[in-house]
Amino acid sequence: MDNKNNPLSQEESLLLISQMINKAKNSYHESGIGPMLWGTVITVCSLVTYCQIKFDFRLPFDIWLLTLFAIIPQIILVAREKKKSKVRGYDDLVMDYIWSCFGIGIFLLIFINANIIEALQPVFSHYKELTGQKSMITYRSFSTSFFLLLYGFPTIITGGCRKFKPMLWGGILCWICCVITVFTPNDIDMLLTALSAGAAWLIPGIILYQKNVKGKVTNV
Amino acid sequence: MFKELDPILHSQLRLAVMSILISVKEAEFTFLKEKTNATAGNLSVQINKLKEVGYIEVTKQFHNNYPQTICKVSPVGIEAFEMYVKALQEYMNPGRQ
Repeated sequence: MDNKNNPLSQEESLLLISQMINKAKNSYHESGIGPMLWGTVITVCSLVTYCQIKFDFRLPFDIWLLTLFAIIPQIILVAREKKKSKVRGYDDLVMDYIWSCFGIGIFLLIFINANIIEALQPVFSHYKELTGQKSMITYRSFSTSFFLLLYGFPTIITGGCRKFKPMLWGGILCWICCVITVFTPNDIDMLLTALSAGAAWLIPGIILYQKNVKGKVTNV
Repeated sequence: MFKELDPILHSQLRLAVMSILISVKEAEFTFLKEKTNATAGNLSVQINKLKEVGYIEVTKQFHNNYPQTICKVSPVGIEAFEMYVKALQEYMNPGRQ
């Protein structure tokens, strides 16, 4: 663009403006590795938990501890992407806040659930005596719904604001599964959690990653 | 009567830079160079012109021991850009207000 100080016609000006706006819009994007990482971790944790319930075995450790270990590569990934990025969009800060609040919200929910389970344990222990019913409910069978409710929020906002339909539909599926898990037992809850995490993060992450590899950048 | 087009914006490279900066919060010099395909020298001159009239804010800093120039459109720049687009539209559709 060395001779770019030539006089412009009105049509050329408008064309240049729209071309440059499009170039800028298509320039800030995510690699897709973050959504792929979390999609994989949550899907694996849910499926392993499903197998533990279904086939009645216990691992020597809690599989959900994987989520704690996944935080480390996530922090490294975010720092690397920020370092590489030459441009910041208007909604970048909003997205940072939304996903940080989501992460903190998940840990707060785990903390709340742990306390509720402890407080209600006597009720669950004497469920048969109190109600005369044979089957025993557990708080855990409802807690999955709360998690799926939280999963949906940032996913729908991100997918909607950045016009990335796979993530938007994935977020909506989280909310549909949130309603279904109210009525399903623990093992099915875990299958639905795996389905939600796969649809909300793993598949959109793979799509983003492939677009990046092909050089077809997208503004997500 | 047509409004006169802002001579600062009615230049190919300066208009390209402003159009990019209006779409993002801030951008590095290297990003603008990459998107406009301009030479560093020419881009630097045009960025200085935009800075002199207050259309953009330029921050120079060091990042990992390398100099980094970050450009951001100012409120004055946003207003000027909007006026320029409005004037262009009037030229294109003289009947409409």
